[in-house]
Amino acid sequence: MSEPAYTVASDSETTGEEKTSSAFPEIAIGIDIGTAQCSVAVWNGSQVELLKNTRNQKMMRSYVNFKDDVPLGGVSNQLSHEHEMLSGAAIFNMKRLIGRADTDPVVHASKSLPFLVQTLDIGVRPFIGALVNNVWRSTTPEEVLAIYLLELRAMAEVALKRPIRNVVLTIPVSFNRFQVTRIERACAMAGLHVLRLMPEPTAVALLYAQQQQQTIHDNMGSGSEKIALIFNMGAGYCDVAVTATAGGVSQIKALAGSPIGGEDMLQNMMRHLLPDSEILFSNHGISEIKSMGLLRVATQDAIHKLTSQTSVQIDVDLGNGSKICKVVDQEEFQEVNKKVFEKCESLIIQCLRDAKGEPEDVTDIIAVGGCSYIPKIRNLLMSICKKQELYKGMNPLEAAVCGAALEGAVASGVNDPFGNLDLLTIQVTPLAIGIQAVGNNFVPIIPRNTTMPARKELVFTTVHDNQTGALIVVYEGEEKKVEGNHLLGYFKIIGIPPAPRGVPEINVCMDIDASNVLRVLAGVVLPGSQHHGIPVMEVRMPTVDDGHGWCAEALHRTYGSSLDLDTVQKKI
Amino acid sequence: MLASSSTQFLQYPFQTTLYRQQPQTKPPSLRFRPHKTVAACTATGEQTTETQQLRFRAHRMASTVSLYEVLGIPMSASCHEIKAAYRRLARMCHPDVVAINRKETSADEFMKIHTAYSTLSDPDKRACYDREIYRYRPRPYAASSAAMATAMSGFSGYTSRNWETDQCW
Repeated sequence: MSEPAYTVASDSETTGEEKTSSAFPEIAIGIDIGTAQCSVAVWNGSQVELLKNTRNQKMMRSYVNFKDDVPLGGVSNQLSHEHEMLSGAAIFNMKRLIGRADTDPVVHASKSLPFLVQTLDIGVRPFIGALVNNVWRSTTPEEVLAIYLLELRAMAEVALKRPIRNVVLTIPVSFNRFQVTRIERACAMAGLHVLRLMPEPTAVALLYAQQQQQTIHDNMGSGSEKIALIFNMGAGYCDVAVTATAGGVSQIKALAGSPIGGEDMLQNMMRHLLPDSEILFSNHGISEIKSMGLLRVATQDAIHKLTSQTSVQIDVDLGNGSKICKVVDQEEFQEVNKKVFEKCESLIIQCLRDAKGEPEDVTDIIAVGGCSYIPKIRNLLMSICKKQELYKGMNPLEAAVCGAALEGAVASGVNDPFGNLDLLTIQVTPLAIGIQAVGNNFVPIIPRNTTMPARKELVFTTVHDNQTGALIVVYEGEEKKVEGNHLLGYFKIIGIPPAPRGVPEINVCMDIDASNVLRVLAGVVLPGSQHHGIPVMEVRMPTVDDGHGWCAEALHRTYGSSLDLDTVQKKI
Repeated sequence: MLASSSTQFLQYPFQTTLYRQQPQTKPPSLRFRPHKTVAACTATGEQTTETQQLRFRAHRMASTVSLYEVLGIPMSASCHEIKAAYRRLARMCHPDVVAINRKETSADEFMKIHTAYSTLSDPDKRACYDREIYRYRPRPYAASSAAMATAMSGFSGYTSRNWETDQCW
């Protein structure tokens, strides 16, 4: 599952481990890496337990401070004050930056953070730097995440008194496969082997399945099926899932996600309070970083207060002669973040539609993540599903990590005598995967919300007479044009027998196995003949590494449409 | 990921056509599945499911395993029973729950179960599939005993009544 360079080592070691330790399995721990905070949990033999750091915290801030010789993350480090995190020396929000090119709007939105996010807008990885002794020291989101994971691992090893290797991680629904490889690389750098990556709401769905199993005591799906709508919104991402649960089986019906979250609301509010803040901050001078930090802390505080109060007084001295004194009420907050809430609404509606469910079918609405405390979000969920209340059986901040820990135990082959681990999640693909066809159109081969493991194929044909080669360019995403989607890889097939256009048949098959590994197979179909003239290509994706942003452009520049393919028209 | 890519590659054409049993004992051609007209329906999601149906129609004629048999349920099964059977089989066959050395075959097995479930759990697709069954197998259980007929009670003869009105809410 991980980066090729590491896969060799981790694969072989895992195979060995899993064989030898079958009698006494190492229970994988569950990790929830949040944009703002992280937590670790493990199945302790009878239930899920959240692990604590030396300062007795279950929730740890996600950041790494580069101020000292040894970078310190939020697991072991103690912030003397919130402002310390905003001095420019600490890198945070790595989950929003990992695996994104410098053309990505999410990266651009991160430019107002106190540390340096520099973009050249050419489709490469952004430059990220921490301010240490007046020097911007470069780092990468993968490195920052790896340092942080290393601390989490050390913490878990102390708490459990055993070496930790296998982990189950939760990831946002909107993560593409390239971003997934970055997460796996960070894990490999921290010496962790990713047993499973779960979209966050599916981890919550698993916890829900277990809770239902415990309360009803029905067996093997004979009990009534419950439909749950899971809404998970943290600082960086918003995810929605619809799941059908019965008998410990959580069947994911649909997923939807977007990189919007509390961070966007925070930035909208900061812009609202100080309209020229971005211009002020564009130089990243020492005093501006300080002012921005002060504004950020005050705004964050106000947003938190607005979850329980109708209005809040903001009073902040930015230290450069300007002061902000303002009363902000609920309506104003909702107006400023109108677009964010609209996006949330559209995700929920899309997810229900994809699940082919009516809002009335929903048994429980589960709202988790930091933003689930926002009154507007709660009202939105209840009004869409026409319900009077939300599900109360879960801690909104701990649900995802608990689900990950359950999956960790299930995937490690642990048995529970009381049947508390007789669980299964049937996952679906969060994004469509397909190839480029003539006219830069994206043709999905595996549509989104396809149950995994999956295997689908489609026949394509040539667009030119006597075309003997074709480029198979694989994308992941939901846009109709390939430009809007994420490039996963590309390869060329040759040896197509010369024929008029539209005659040759090129079969493209996509296979996602039980470990979520994607393989793309393509071959020329020779009608009538059975000889093995041209071998089939099999490529494990994603193959693109850094610079993925301009690979597609380079291909287009070099080959134009000469190696394009088209879908075969339906023959009746 | 445990199976090396090369061995999988060799198995590939066979695996894909695993449940088509015997008809083509010829060496595998470069087609992953030799139903040209089937794969020719392109693009949209709807057509993909149509593709699956057509494929089943084709393979069912070759082999004798119906979607009902895949799920181990009678043809009169209710929607509830179909879902329950799917969950029960998923608990046994899903790659997440089987032993490490069975992952590859279980993925195929699960995909087969899921396709059967997704067709039969959708009233429209089930009705369509049932009509196909009778068209190609005019007297599927004619030779079987009366017990079979009673097992299929609730389904009065092979008429044009459809499952949507009959069985599923």
